[in-house]
Amino acid sequence: MKHESKLTSQEQEQLAEIKSQQASVREFASVEEVLRHDTGQTAVPPAIAERLAKSIQSLPRPPQTWWQRWLKP
Amino acid sequence: MSETGIEPRPQLVLEPAEFAELYQTHSRAVYYLALRYLGDPQKAEDVTHDVFLKVYRKFSEFRGDSSWRTWLYRITINHCHNVRQSWHSRNLVTNADEAVWDNAVAQSDSPFRALETKELGQRIQTALDGLAEEYRLLLLLVADEELSYAEVAVLTEQSADAVRGKLHRARKAFAVLFQQSA
Repeated sequence: MKHESKLTSQEQEQLAEIKSQQASVREFASVEEVLRHDTGQTAVPPAIAERLAKSIQSLPRPPQTWWQRWLKP
Repeated sequence: MSETGIEPRPQLVLEPAEFAELYQTHSRAVYYLALRYLGDPQKAEDVTHDVFLKVYRKFSEFRGDSSWRTWLYRITINHCHNVRQSWHSRNLVTNADEAVWDNAVAQSDSPFRALETKELGQRIQTALDGLAEEYRLLLLLVADEELSYAEVAVLTEQSADAVRGKLHRARKAFAVLFQQSA
């Protein structure tokens, strides 16, 4: 016999919240595993690469070697 | 051949494509070490920028007698030490007594149970912040699977046996602090 759901909308919301919490709880076997997981979850801010590109552009060009100067027309 | 595919060789500058590949391969490891060692995202950004800029400028000094990762970590650790020293000179910081961790026992068999949310990162940082700097650095380095115990020992200027001994205490201390942070 099929049972109809007797849960109120509030109870359904609570149940969904509990289920989502259960799904997101994770166990780690060691400190290293925790840290590796955390590393994987950590994104490098894109601002660093942009800032780095600007810094490199502003660096003085390395001096040309004698043969580079010699080859230059 | 190195882990990036870039062959270590004496040359004056890195080609843009080579540098981009180096950054792509190692920036997360460098940023993560700086972030969790210093506990400050802004400082970690600054350190990561400065480390890679230094690599770009001093590339010719890389002799290839260590891996790229080890070389980058050495620069990162030195830079982080400088940042911390400059910060410590302006702020008084005390570390917890190490003896506390020797006597402490984790309260459950699975101390590393956590919600897989932003909360996890905060708890990790809280636990790391409570450790002595040496323990924090050891745990962060050992967690990188690309590094051997011997490489961690070289980076932290001690023997591999000393690393193993300290790691035992560091893991125990982290477990207690991690549980307390729940």
